[in-house]
Amino acid sequence: MTVEQNFEALDQFPVGMRVLAVDDDQTCLKILETLLHHCQYHVTTTNQAQKALELLRENKNKFDLVISDVDMPDMDGFKLLELVGLEMDLPVIMLSAHSDPKYVMKGVTHGACDYLLKPVRIEELKNIWQHVVRSRFDKNRGSNNGEKRDGSGNEGVGNSDQNNNGRVNRKRKDQYNEDEDEERDDNDDSSAQKKQRVVWTVELHKKFVAAVNQLGYEKAMPKKILDLMNVEKLTRENVASHLQKFRLYLKRISGVTNQQALMANSDLHFLQMNSSLNGLDGFHHRPIPVGPGQFHGGAAAMRPYPSNGILGRLNTPSGIGVRNLSSPPPGMFLQNQTDLGKFHHVSSLPLNHTDGGNILQGLPMPLEFDQLHQTNNNIRNMNNNNKSIAANSMAYPNFSTQQNSLIGAPNNNNLLVLEGHPQASPSSFQGHQINKRLEHWPNAVSSSSTLPPPTAQNSHHDSLEWNNVSSSYSIPFCDSTTPGLDTTNPRAFCRNTDFDSNEQPGSFYDSLQMRQSGNYGPTTDVMLSSNSSKEGFVVGQQQKLQSGGFMSGDAGSLDDIVNSTMKQEQSQGDLSGGDLGYGGFSSLRTCL
Amino acid sequence: MQRQVALIKQSLFDQGYLDEQFMALEELQDDANPNFVEEVSALYFKDSARLINNIDQALERGSFDFNRLDSYMHQFKGSSTSIGANKVKAECTMFRDYCRAGNAEGCLRTFQQLKKEHSTLRKKLEHYFQLARQAGPKETARRPK
Repeated sequence: MTVEQNFEALDQFPVGMRVLAVDDDQTCLKILETLLHHCQYHVTTTNQAQKALELLRENKNKFDLVISDVDMPDMDGFKLLELVGLEMDLPVIMLSAHSDPKYVMKGVTHGACDYLLKPVRIEELKNIWQHVVRSRFDKNRGSNNGEKRDGSGNEGVGNSDQNNNGRVNRKRKDQYNEDEDEERDDNDDSSAQKKQRVVWTVELHKKFVAAVNQLGYEKAMPKKILDLMNVEKLTRENVASHLQKFRLYLKRISGVTNQQALMANSDLHFLQMNSSLNGLDGFHHRPIPVGPGQFHGGAAAMRPYPSNGILGRLNTPSGIGVRNLSSPPPGMFLQNQTDLGKFHHVSSLPLNHTDGGNILQGLPMPLEFDQLHQTNNNIRNMNNNNKSIAANSMAYPNFSTQQNSLIGAPNNNNLLVLEGHPQASPSSFQGHQINKRLEHWPNAVSSSSTLPPPTAQNSHHDSLEWNNVSSSYSIPFCDSTTPGLDTTNPRAFCRNTDFDSNEQPGSFYDSLQMRQSGNYGPTTDVMLSSNSSKEGFVVGQQQKLQSGGFMSGDAGSLDDIVNSTMKQEQSQGDLSGGDLGYGGFSSLRTCL
Repeated sequence: MQRQVALIKQSLFDQGYLDEQFMALEELQDDANPNFVEEVSALYFKDSARLINNIDQALERGSFDFNRLDSYMHQFKGSSTSIGANKVKAECTMFRDYCRAGNAEGCLRTFQQLKKEHSTLRKKLEHYFQLARQAGPKETARRPK
């Protein structure tokens, strides 16, 4: 729909509200469609969840609401619900013939804004528009406080081509507003007056994560989190909605219902996913299919979730053996925070640098994750944007899928070390890696710095560089750095910590090149996406990773790293990877 | 003619073959969608025939995978409910109860019953639609007294 159309639709809202209906049962679908037509909504139907996801990913702004059946053969309705909520942030209504309260509860915990029983009556459908309004309203309301919204930021930042996908939250608003500006708070939304949206920057998210960890993931309640965070102008609702998204995100990436898993890594990723995060311009809002939240400078996300138990969760997923999660040293968490801050700072660096941002360029998201595909697109969009962060987020997607491998890993260390997933289609792994990396960064930067200066960070072929990483992190992520940085490589998440943000791209690249040759080495301490050579999601911290892509992580060395890391994880800190510079890694870990 | 059609419909309701959901569907029928109910019914029977087949095969195998049977039946029940097929729905519920109780024989019996109801309903509806078409412009749904 064009903006104008959107506007028109808005004017008559709820008439013309665009609904996507998903149900494998043809009879029910047809009936639902007719009912919705009778309510004067604009209806699109599909009987496959995958198709629905594709439609949504293709253009997030195309729909206002999704109604989905619970039992579907190709994908669980709850999973679809989660994905939609995380990626697109659209209200989703569940539909089922199961009236069992536990299903209803499941719907709620997965983020459904309503649960209807079949057979659906038209009266019930007549009111579903309220969910659209409510969600927009909440978004607006939430954003008031907290981070500044940098209106200019994300939207404005070079992302011209990015369609507001990045900003999931906003997208809807954008539609209405036609206003690229971020903050649009009030003016958009036709319905209610929205207040400023809270932008969940990396820093803020870090605080959030810290608070959650402190309270214990299971017990984290918005009010308490809010108190702990102690951020002015942040409301309980903001926190509540962010918490919900975060949980979903974790769940999603961990592939288990246990949301706690992955807490650690999800930070950045999560942030990224949340479009509301405005941390890094250009980065976030990338429509990162995976992961919630925007990637605020990646760092935030990367951070492995502070151990408080969350890490433990990470392990659960996919059997990565992440054990560490269980209770990472408190220090870690703290560290993260600092790092985060740092990172944040870093990220603020000219992400905008024009240099080929390609960070995301061509990041081929090998992720098996279907999202990957999405991400890729996003990434492409991001080209030239400093979306490097976004790239990271992309990594996330990988990450999520992979989760298995990664999650377990580093828990404590920011190192995402993708555990052995070497090459596994790391899609998820990638992300994971990146996340880790990101996390690493802060740690690396701030404290750990023990890491040997990241040698050429893995040039991620996509050149996801993290532009802002000015701080010389030594997080060597980069897995196999392929000099060529061809986009096709899996994105290696390379963090060139060494570079300082101002470095000219060229130089960076050179240095990367140099580093790359051969050693993924030291820097790789982390996971460099080793596994993923495919997915090398390179997070080009470096400021300007050439678009050439740096380092595509080759699994080769990364594998080693990863493996080593894995071991490390197990042993907690016992770095085996020689060449990878585990030393650094371990130090990082400990730092954490 | 129309009256006849109405009577038939009434009887279907009275006998419990159809319930309010069917009426709701009829209400959805309008000029833009003149044969909505018939179309939906056709869809339903097509889908449900397939489901019945699946269940038949599963039962014949004798393995009695109750979970799977239950899930088939859940689907079946869902669509039957959506169309207002009352008796069929009731049989579905019974079948599922037997499944949960692990009562294979009960399942088999109920299933036979279900198939019977299903095909009875199908015939009746077909007959009804046929008449309705003949009777001219479809009548609007009227709640049976």
